[in-house]
Amino acid sequence: MTVRVQKPSTFAQYVTLLRKDLQREFRTRDMLSSMAIYAFLVLVVYGAALSQTGSQFDILQMSGGMLWALIVFTSLLGLNRSFSYEKEDGCLEGILLVPLDRSVVFLAKATSNFLFLLAVEIVVLPLYYFFFLTTTTPQPTWPLMLIPMLVGTIGIAGIGTLLSTITTSTRGKDVLLAVLFIPLVFPLLYACVSATTVVVAGGDIEGIFRNSVLLAVGYDLVMVLLSWVLYDYAVSA
Amino acid sequence: MEAPAVQLDQVSKVFGDRYALKNVSLELPAGSFLSIFGPNGAGKTTLLRILATLARPTSGAVTVAGINLKDDADAAREQIGLISHNSMLYADLNAEQNLQLYARLYGIENAQERVDEMLDAVELSHRRLDTVRTFSRGMTQRLAIARALLHDPQVVLLDEPYSGLDPHAVEIFDSLLEAVRENRTFVMVSHDLRKGFEACSHALVLARGTKVAFAAKEEIDYDAFAALYHETVGMGVA
Amino acid sequence: MTETQTDKHPIGGLADTLAKPALLIGALLTALAFVLAFTVASPVVGAKVNGVELIGNEMIGNQILLSQKIFYFHMPVAVVSMVVLTGTAFFAIRFLMTRDALYDLKAKICTEIGLVFVICTMISGDLWTRFEWGVWWVWEPRLTTYLILTLMVIAYFILRTAVDEPERRATYASVFSLIMYVDVPISFFITRLIPSSVHPVIMRSDSGMSPDMLAPLMCSLFGFCLIAYGLYRFRARTELIALRVEAAKDTLDD
Repeated sequence: MTVRVQKPSTFAQYVTLLRKDLQREFRTRDMLSSMAIYAFLVLVVYGAALSQTGSQFDILQMSGGMLWALIVFTSLLGLNRSFSYEKEDGCLEGILLVPLDRSVVFLAKATSNFLFLLAVEIVVLPLYYFFFLTTTTPQPTWPLMLIPMLVGTIGIAGIGTLLSTITTSTRGKDVLLAVLFIPLVFPLLYACVSATTVVVAGGDIEGIFRNSVLLAVGYDLVMVLLSWVLYDYAVSA
Repeated sequence: MEAPAVQLDQVSKVFGDRYALKNVSLELPAGSFLSIFGPNGAGKTTLLRILATLARPTSGAVTVAGINLKDDADAAREQIGLISHNSMLYADLNAEQNLQLYARLYGIENAQERVDEMLDAVELSHRRLDTVRTFSRGMTQRLAIARALLHDPQVVLLDEPYSGLDPHAVEIFDSLLEAVRENRTFVMVSHDLRKGFEACSHALVLARGTKVAFAAKEEIDYDAFAALYHETVGMGVA
Repeated sequence: MTETQTDKHPIGGLADTLAKPALLIGALLTALAFVLAFTVASPVVGAKVNGVELIGNEMIGNQILLSQKIFYFHMPVAVVSMVVLTGTAFFAIRFLMTRDALYDLKAKICTEIGLVFVICTMISGDLWTRFEWGVWWVWEPRLTTYLILTLMVIAYFILRTAVDEPERRATYASVFSLIMYVDVPISFFITRLIPSSVHPVIMRSDSGMSPDMLAPLMCSLFGFCLIAYGLYRFRARTELIALRVEAAKDTLDD
């Protein structure tokens, strides 16, 4: 039988790769379940950590920071996983044998990481409210926190995808990812925490919120672009 | 005469002052089967990775299926299939999903038919909906062959494909190779001197990154070859 | 080692000849800066250079601060650390373009020297925060971005030790050092971008520094620049010679 090959569009290849990640996740659920369980356990630890704070304590002022600490640590776990199965049987090499642009691999992986992180966040957010915030009333502006959440998750997925590509083929990869990842996302984390806190606990929404979100967007742009450019080198090494 | 299927012209791979390959040149006519021999660290795998476009040579020109890898690596990739000791299959997807994935990536138009055909060829049609994780080593390797040949490549690269296979699986593997051998060029890296020599039409011996010997099989018999191998390779390495 | 590599990365020559005097002059200049800082430069009353400072919840404006002398070393060391890391980024780009292992070597050496200067900056800066601002640490933009930089420079070396294969190690290190470099201009300009920060902006035309303060500062700045250059050349020379010895050994083995 003859094989007719028509080189697919870059977008079609992107969709194929993304679908592969989703298909795999749908079958095994290992990233989603491990991230969700881990996030839940962090919430439980928070419960112990805050158990002695008493009623005078304004949890709202801290809630943005705690939420983002949770997101960063949970995403570290997921990012580590996202490439371990690509390396397991040399799958990544198989993908690189295909005539396709290397940045498609980056975009597809970053998208799937983004989607998984977002899914976990959607589960964790109500739980977080349930455990810690039912005793107080967040400011009515709280829905705005979804903006920094979206922007922050994009940045984490973008830079995390590049870094986890690098760390999967190193020794002690779990720790190394944290060592590289946490200083790099610090500015993003900082911006997202301040934006989230301001809309939840109240404050200068015009100024602080807008500036923080702009800072986060700027960080996303620079980092995702740089990761995209450098990805070819990292993945082919 | 047809253009050579694989052509290396003064190919070197250096990092720092360490040569993985040093000025290797050869021409391989279409339809032939090249076996590459050499001790560990001789540059066999490096050479294969260069042919597979997974690594770039530091200097020299590489042509695969008439396409210079430097000019158009993507066009060459369409003509290259690689079977290695890694299966390159997603253990958590089933056989059909794995092949479908690669069929889509390569852009095979009649994807479903082709996947069915390849599953038939490697006798895995009955396991098509089972995840690869449940497969035995031999079955995984068969599926890996199907994956590598899915896009009908002209040049097939084999990187120690026998490692981890039991004798029965080796037999099946050999007969499969025999079945697809027509009109294709093969390049194989193997540790097994006898097995590699039996299969090949041309033999290349590498030691410390340099070409020690390259000959067509008609010119030499196994015993003479083995003697030559041990003589030349034994010298430089031990 | 091939001929071309020897040409591109020469051992000896003018650059190496200058290394020794550079180191010497650098040492003399910094020593001079040290003397000048304590003799010529007028003692700073309070933190008048940068306006008023809040120390331990007290407005302090008239205390003669000996700790202000830290400034003459802190700022030049910080500037040099950024210059050296710029060298890292330059060599990282060269490496990714050429795949020449020696560029990676040079990038590594730059980062090593960068690490020394970064740590000196952190130590001198922390003494400054302790004695001038009255706290050990504040999460202030300049300090935070520089802390990130410090962590990333350390992470660079952790990454290097975690990869065995030389070419892969070099590629990963180069990619990471380029991402890391994004923080350098941010850290440099952040005091201008966020003016509310307590960290003073030094590099400006109206810095309010008198000539007697400028002299030790400039001596120190040029001194440290020369020291960094001398160290870089010495390290590079040692490593290049070591490589050549290795190559010679390999040839003898054949």
